[in-house]
Formats: sequence, C-alpha cells, structure tokens
Amino acid sequence: MPEERAHAVFEVAGGDFGGKLMVTRSTGRAVREALEETLAALAKDGTLYVDTRGVELMDYSFADEALGILASRVASGEYGDRHLVLVEEDRDLLENVEASLRQRSLAMIRVDKIGAEPSIVGEVPDHLVATLQAIYDSGSITNAALATKLGLNHTACNNRATRLAKLGLIHRRIETAAPGGRQYTYERVV
Amino acid sequence: MGSLDPAFAGAGEIDGGPVVLDLRAVEFVEPAGLCGLAALLEFLIPRSEEVGIALAGRDVPAYLERMNFFRLFGDRIRTNADVASLEERRRHNPGTLQELINFHTEQEIPGIIERISEILENQGYRLRERVAICSVLSEICANAAEHGRSSFGAYAAVQAYHHIVSGPRRRGEEVLIAIADGGPGVRETLARNLALAEYTTTDNDALRHALEMGVSGTGEIGRGGGLALVAGIAARSGGSLSLRSGSGRVTVYENRKNSRHVPEFPGTFVRVSLPRTPQERSPQ
Repeated sequence: MPEERAHAVFEVAGGDFGGKLMVTRSTGRAVREALEETLAALAKDGTLYVDTRGVELMDYSFADEALGILASRVASGEYGDRHLVLVEEDRDLLENVEASLRQRSLAMIRVDKIGAEPSIVGEVPDHLVATLQAIYDSGSITNAALATKLGLNHTACNNRATRLAKLGLIHRRIETAAPGGRQYTYERVV
Repeated sequence: MGSLDPAFAGAGEIDGGPVVLDLRAVEFVEPAGLCGLAALLEFLIPRSEEVGIALAGRDVPAYLERMNFFRLFGDRIRTNADVASLEERRRHNPGTLQELINFHTEQEIPGIIERISEILENQGYRLRERVAICSVLSEICANAAEHGRSSFGAYAAVQAYHHIVSGPRRRGEEVLIAIADGGPGVRETLARNLALAEYTTTDNDALRHALEMGVSGTGEIGRGGGLALVAGIAARSGGSLSLRSGSGRVTVYENRKNSRHVPEFPGTFVRVSLPRTPQERSPQ
C-alpha cells in the first residue's frame, strides 16, 4: 500500500475569499495565490486537498485561473512531487473545472470527500487510462509488475507511468535495485 | 434591439448638431434594447450638441424609469417623458432581476453577481437556474470588462418574463440577459492574435470563431472558454445567445447558428435568452 503522506486541506468557500459565488479571473488569481502558498509549504511529496464543496457557483474564468493554471504549474514540476486533489461531489459545478482542464490537456484527481474513492476530472489520454486504473487498483506497484499486468514492455510501461506522474495523477518512487540498477514504483495519490 | 437599427445606421453620419431619437413607435423594450440604447447614447452624446429621445405612451417611459435609465442618463439627454411623475409612481417589478447598470472593471462583477443571486434565491429560483443565470452574467460581464474597455465601460440588464418574448410571444417563462460595451469589438480583438488572421476577414467570421472553445485575442491556453460555455448553457435551456459587433450578428441556438449583416454597432453586444422549463419552476 502507498505511504501515508503529509496533506493539507484548503476550503475555497471559507477563509478570506469567502463565499459561495466564485467568479472572475481576479478572484481566481487571489485564490490561486493562496493555494500556491499552501502547496509550497507542504512536505515535498505532500498532497493539497482543494475543497470546493461549499461553493455554489464557479464560473469558467475563476475555475481556469484558480485551478487550471495551478494544475498546469503542478504538471510542469514547479511544485516537485506535491499533488493536488479536488474535493467535490459529482455536480454541475465541475463542468467549468472540466472545461478548463480539458483546454489545457490536464486532469486532476477528484474525491467526493477525503478518504473516498478517487475519480478523474479533466482529460487523460485514452492510452493512459488503463495504466492509471491498474496503478489505483494496486495502490502501489513496481514498473516490472505493472508492465506484466498490462502486457507492455518495461520501457513503454515506464513512459506511460511517467506521463501520469507528470500530470500529477500518481506518485513515482525510484528505488535502488541490485545489482546497481533502479526500480520504479508507482503509487496512487489518495 | 432591431428597432434601434435605423439609428445605428444613421449614427455614423451625425454632424455635431442636435440629435433626436424618435422612439414613439416603440411599444416594448427588453434588456437588449435598453443596453443597446445606452450604448447608442454613449456614442451620440460626445458627438452631438444635444441628444433627445422622443417617447410615447406610459409603458415604455415607465419601464425605462424602473430600469434606472433616467437615473443614468436623465441629466445628459432631453426627453418629452414626464420623468418626475414616473419617479413618484415608481414601483418595483418582481421581474426586474438587474436594472440597467454601468460598470467599468472586473472588480465590480462579484458584487453584481451576489446581488442578483440573492434576488433569484428570494424569488424561488432553483440552484441550477441561479447558477446558469449568474454564470452567464459573470462571463459576459468579465469579457466586457477585459476586452470592451471604453470611456463608458459597459451596460448590463436582466429581466424575467412570464411569457416567452424571444420570437413570437408565447406561453412559458424566460430570463433575458443583455450587455453592451463600447470597446474595439470582437473582430479587432481577435485580430491581435495573428494565428486567427483567416477568421477575421469579416465581422461575422470573427463572431462565429469567437464562439468556439479556446479562441481568444491573446492565444493563451485556457483563455476564450467563457463565451462557448455561455452559448452551451443557453442552448441546453432551449434558449439562444446572440453576439453582435461591428456589422455582424451571430445567434446560436441548440441546433443551428444564424449570421446576419446588420448596421454597425459601436462595440460589442451580447443577448442571452434562458427559457425556464416547468421542471425548473417546481419548488426545491
């Protein structure tokens, strides 16, 4: 099973931004800056839960500025191995988050509540979906075991998992394997 | 707003002398006409010695008064309407969700959305309807604040009707949202993005392309999603989005998109129709 990692929870409807109505890019920018501060303060492989459950309305401009750009920065490696998880139920509000992430060819892990089974919001390329599913089903799996499970050679399997790790959808650990080699282990984020 | 087309067509030919907009034949004004009239007056006032509007009957002047039109323009135009008596008889109309409002910056939008959301909630609109109306208003207001910068900013208005007023009048309910700004217009805004050169040959080409997901004047990833989503919200509700700028006008319905060549509009104009379905009217 994956290691227990440090995490923080950011409630979008609470705090200084307050409110159930999250609209405009300038509001989104203010929320993103606060999220970035929280993310940067996390342990290097920690997870930030962005809880939007108290929000009634999130327009596209807000969603893109607060979550789309942040997801893009996480995917570019700006925050190392830290991860983002959206805490939100499956409702209309997700439409604008989904649209923003799809525009950016990105995805985020989503849970209905902390501890619940994860799902995906945004865009995961078709050829990566089975790989992502296999990693989440296993909880933690080596590249060799994953390659066998998916019927792929080790390089193709590693390429797919590396892409998922860059999207921020899984953890990737590198371990030393005898004799003098490296072994990759992939783990679910939540 | 079609009744203002002759005035838009003639607006480019004014010579600095006094101008009178003859609206005596107008029997019905909706938010689109109100915002269009505001934009037209903003165009005419700095270019004319004096601007007047001629109105007939009581309904249209009373509606203009209820929608704050005379509060915004009363000291800048002449009118034959007895505004003082209208002010005395002023009564709130529950269908008025947002009177004519003038704004300049994005920072003013959350306040506008909070107010209309509260009104909608008090009037029993379901969460889903409130979200649709507020999302539409916030996105088109944000576009106007960002791309439509002008000396007068933008005008917006929202009205609910107990019948369908778009097209032939019929049974049903409808919310109309309109906004007009005096900015450079859609074609000029998109033309700043050189990658869109082939889509900015005419105003209608630019309008049609602006309604596609991800099309923006900056070309930045993530930009240019708002209008496409607003068009989607309108289409899903069985309504429409009409976008007018320069000499073009494009209207998007669920299954079709119409383009028309129209008299030059000095800025950008958006009208969104959101019909209410029986299911949406039932209590929560």
